[in-house]
Amino acid sequence: MAPPDDLVARAQAGDQTAFRDLYRQHAGRVYALCLRLTGDARDAEERTQDVFVRLWDKVQSFRGESAFSSWLHRLAVNVVLNERRTTGRREQRVMTMEDPGALERNRGSTTEGLSIDLERAIAALPDGAREVFVLYDIEGYGHAEIAGLVGIAEGTSKAQLFRARRLLREKLER
Amino acid sequence: MNEKELHDAVGRLPKRIEPPRDLWPDIEARIKRTSWRRRWYWIPLAAAAVLAGVWLVRSQPASWDVTQVSGRPVVGTTPLTATGRLRVGEVLETDASSRALIAVGRIGQVEVLPGTRVQLVAARADEHRLALAHGTIDAKVDAVPRLFFVDTPVGTAIDLGCAYTLHTDSLGNGLLHVTGGQVEFQTGQRSARVPLGALTQTRASVGPGVPYVEDAPEPLIRALVAFDFANGGARATRTALAIARAQDALSLWHLLQRVDPALRGLVYDRLAALVPPPPGVRRAAAIALDSGALESYWTKIHRIHFRRMILKGVRDIDPRTGTTVR
Repeated sequence: MAPPDDLVARAQAGDQTAFRDLYRQHAGRVYALCLRLTGDARDAEERTQDVFVRLWDKVQSFRGESAFSSWLHRLAVNVVLNERRTTGRREQRVMTMEDPGALERNRGSTTEGLSIDLERAIAALPDGAREVFVLYDIEGYGHAEIAGLVGIAEGTSKAQLFRARRLLREKLER
Repeated sequence: MNEKELHDAVGRLPKRIEPPRDLWPDIEARIKRTSWRRRWYWIPLAAAAVLAGVWLVRSQPASWDVTQVSGRPVVGTTPLTATGRLRVGEVLETDASSRALIAVGRIGQVEVLPGTRVQLVAARADEHRLALAHGTIDAKVDAVPRLFFVDTPVGTAIDLGCAYTLHTDSLGNGLLHVTGGQVEFQTGQRSARVPLGALTQTRASVGPGVPYVEDAPEPLIRALVAFDFANGGARATRTALAIARAQDALSLWHLLQRVDPALRGLVYDRLAALVPPPPGVRRAAAIALDSGALESYWTKIHRIHFRRMILKGVRDIDPRTGTTVR
């Protein structure tokens, strides 16, 4: 596979083969973000598709001021949050059981089991708390950034983070 | 759990999770619909295509190491002596007395048993794919789920981090036996989740049957085979329900999704009597095949099954609850 910069340049020129390779390189990272932000595997698939369709339209505007992966990551966050704002969906989310196999791969590993429990607990958080938790604790955004992205006050972001952590600790202690 | 433990656990979460299926075909279809807006880019596109072609021609095709274990396996038309490479598109074939070992990139290995024909379809970091035309392979993979796939004439075995033996004839009749982790076998709309210590039979133009555990009673296996592959219908369902034990809950979980809607209540009630549903799973939701209810139930069934398997011979595990029997 060509170097990432070459792929981006070719994708910017409209090369779908290069774009497909970009998808292959970044799908796992984008899907993980979408899955955690939506808490729902089916929604995550749809959002991942949306992100790459949007990327196809926007890739020419990438000017290399940041790493391509960081730029794509921000694009993905915007796509997911915009979609939620548009539809305002608040369905009960249950994360699909994709990963029980991970349990067996590390037999006896309590950390692997804990990660799976944690993923499920994150998926079960209320939407607002989950989004702030994922963006702050997993993805490393600051409260000011999150406030701008999600469209809430900075104080609300802090409160949602506090709530999310408390709910997760309670859930994981059961 | 305190704040630090939570923080540490978050730090261990994987940065990448591969989508459960390849999303590229849908994305490609969508971007093609929008591409008319970008058609003035055809000149650089053509140039890029030429460059890509040159690059592809100059590139070495992806390949995996292959080692002769016994006899004289053949790669393409060349007999394999000691070691060699299996390139994308090439076929490895063993006769009745030969075996070979394929290194699956860096994530595992596949032993190709006698009388087998297997082709390397994809050898990328994000997709390791073989096509098993007929014969038997032993696969051992240590990677995140959904990186290793084996196509058979009737469907695809999708690795969820595991070890398994897969046999098929040239029509797709065969058997998948999982000895570690979990494998999903998919055919069109039908799929089977097969955890360690369980098997599923496959049939041409049908796909995977209801999985069952290694120590499942023979009459139960016969009833499931009749249900899946011989139009056993309600009679086979009732027979299976009558014989099933708590240890067979994973079979009933699959059966619930395959029986006629009129029989779902019957299957659910038997399953719930053997392994009580987890909190939050309602009968009506499970019977309606609500994905959330089914996934929650599967999580419980799978965890109990997993404990039974890994603690076999060490502790007695209650198959209804997964707790140690005192």
